[in-house]
Amino acid sequence: MSFSLYINRLKCHIRNKENMFWSYLFPIVLASCFFFAFNNLWTIDSFETIKIAYVSEMVETDPLKQALNEAKVSEGVSMFSITYSDKTKASTLLEEGEIEAYIVGGENPELFVKENGMNETIMKSFLDNYRSVSSTIGTILAYNPNAINEGLMQDLMQTDTFVEEQADMKKPDAMLVYFYALLAFNCIFAANWGLVEVINIQADQSTRGARVSVSPIHKMKLFLCNIAAAFTVHTGSILLLLFYMNNILKINFGDQFVLIIITCLIGSIAGIALGATVGILVRKKASVKDAILSAVIMAGGFLSGMMYADMKYIIATKLPILGFINPVNLVADTLYSLYYYDTNERFYLNMAILGLLTVLMGAVSYAGLRRKTYASI
Amino acid sequence: MIVKVEGLVKRYDKLVALDYLDLEVKEGEIFGLLGPNGSGKTTAINCILSLLKYDKGTIEVFDKPMGPDEYKLKKDIGLIMQNVAVFDELTVYENISYFCSLYIKDKKEVKRLTEEAIEFVSLDDYKKFYPKKLSGGLLRRLNIACGIVHKPKLIILDEPTVAVDPQSRNKILEGIKKLNEDGATIIYTSHYMEEVEQICSKIAIIDKGKVIAQGTKDELKSMISVGEKITIEAYQVNDLQLNTIKNLPNIYSVEYRENQLEIKTGRGNNNLVTILEYMAEQKISFGRVITELPTLNDVFLEITGKELRD
Repeated sequence: MSFSLYINRLKCHIRNKENMFWSYLFPIVLASCFFFAFNNLWTIDSFETIKIAYVSEMVETDPLKQALNEAKVSEGVSMFSITYSDKTKASTLLEEGEIEAYIVGGENPELFVKENGMNETIMKSFLDNYRSVSSTIGTILAYNPNAINEGLMQDLMQTDTFVEEQADMKKPDAMLVYFYALLAFNCIFAANWGLVEVINIQADQSTRGARVSVSPIHKMKLFLCNIAAAFTVHTGSILLLLFYMNNILKINFGDQFVLIIITCLIGSIAGIALGATVGILVRKKASVKDAILSAVIMAGGFLSGMMYADMKYIIATKLPILGFINPVNLVADTLYSLYYYDTNERFYLNMAILGLLTVLMGAVSYAGLRRKTYASI
Repeated sequence: MIVKVEGLVKRYDKLVALDYLDLEVKEGEIFGLLGPNGSGKTTAINCILSLLKYDKGTIEVFDKPMGPDEYKLKKDIGLIMQNVAVFDELTVYENISYFCSLYIKDKKEVKRLTEEAIEFVSLDDYKKFYPKKLSGGLLRRLNIACGIVHKPKLIILDEPTVAVDPQSRNKILEGIKKLNEDGATIIYTSHYMEEVEQICSKIAIIDKGKVIAQGTKDELKSMISVGEKITIEAYQVNDLQLNTIKNLPNIYSVEYRENQLEIKTGRGNNNLVTILEYMAEQKISFGRVITELPTLNDVFLEITGKELRD
């Protein structure tokens, strides 16, 4: 009997073209859009020499000038294209956008930039490193004056790493946040299934609910059969999205794929529980419930960094509790931590919190569904 | 007793939807619950089915107190609502089979009952159709099939013919009679008095949450003073003549509009003869003459002072 109910509900879901589009096709379209929009932004191949000006009154040996000249991205590609000028002209060039920064040399070199960006960050890193190296050199030379002839400078000024570090770090940082958030968002999107099933089973919400309520079948039994069918369909959509991102878009999910799938499945259960809870707690008609749930999911997606990657960090630093009660963020953060951290502590912590939230939401839904008579229909 | 409702009160804040409602439905009856929209028919049904909480009163079904957990009682009840309650994504066959499987565990039995239900509502040619492809009438028949597929002893139909074409309506009414002949007790709510008159063996007229009259259709009609309604196509009848007709023996009311003389008389013989004799005497020319027995609308009108269709 239960299996027959499950199969029939499964048929309903699979034949619902609208649901199938939003569950299966839309996430893939969105992932493709993300991929094409962000893919080329942080590749090292696209790095272009940074135009800068250098202002210095030192006539003879100027180690900073030398370091700037020798800095290379790769063989034959200089990191900087340098214009030598006075400070006034350098400032004018910066204002006019001819250069991206200028450096005033001397004992304490200063960096002047007009905007914030990757090239400006590279400049700052370069200069910070130069200061650090200069200080180190000064200390070493105080003890070993011959060190300068033994390749000390070459060893300390490995400039190409600035570009590699910036490029390598930026790519996973920004891009993966979007893809992880998309995956997490898709897991929590299961909330829509939870809501639909709650509406379908309540006599005051739908005529089908009324028909079911007068039948001799236990409501919870039917609800669980329906939820199992919804979960099956949703799991299919998650696996398809994972396959697409991993195998077609070649998004790097690291080597913990099984844990990623487990995260997605638990996230989907949490999503279904969220939908059911909204369906139970909001005592309005179905369209209002649907609108409220959509708003909750979208807000969860936004706060987890789906629309604006830095939002994840803003929440983590300013209001961490919000991160812990946002299922989208928990799933996204778990995926992120599986990629970045060698240990699984964060995975277990996030999954425990998500599990707890799911149990709480499940309990609320159960309490609501147990109600068998209604004040009005 | 199949259904016994005593002193049922249901309030929505200040609005009293059911006002100490009493009903008794005996085995084998087609019990009509007749009343205008908003009179409390659907509320009464929802209370009987334990879908709605009520403030006072008792409800017994199959001589046992009805409650939301009375699964044994629910097994023998079928519900057909005004709004179609089927799954758009399942075919006609799958829908009927699905709702049957809520009641019956055995697969073979589900299959047999599903096929019987399809045959009963004459949807054999539409088994593989999805509900969206069905006309309004066919959709209602599917709705009925989903409600009766498990062969319930008590079938509750809540305005099943609203917005249904005459052909499908007749089919539905015939089907209800057949179900009754096969042993099911029927509770049929409607605001269409013709339907109720046509099929119900017992009728309760309900208004403002109260049963205002109850009995067979003949018993109900005998409760009112009007025995006959005579309509005569008559020309140039003056006020004096109208007054005289009104004062003839056994005449309750006379109305004259657009050459139609409408006269309500009490029970008795020769009412028409007396009127026609007077008209001949007064040389009033007349054409068609129609006589009708009182309808349930007349019953409702006399008791409440308003038309059933208001």
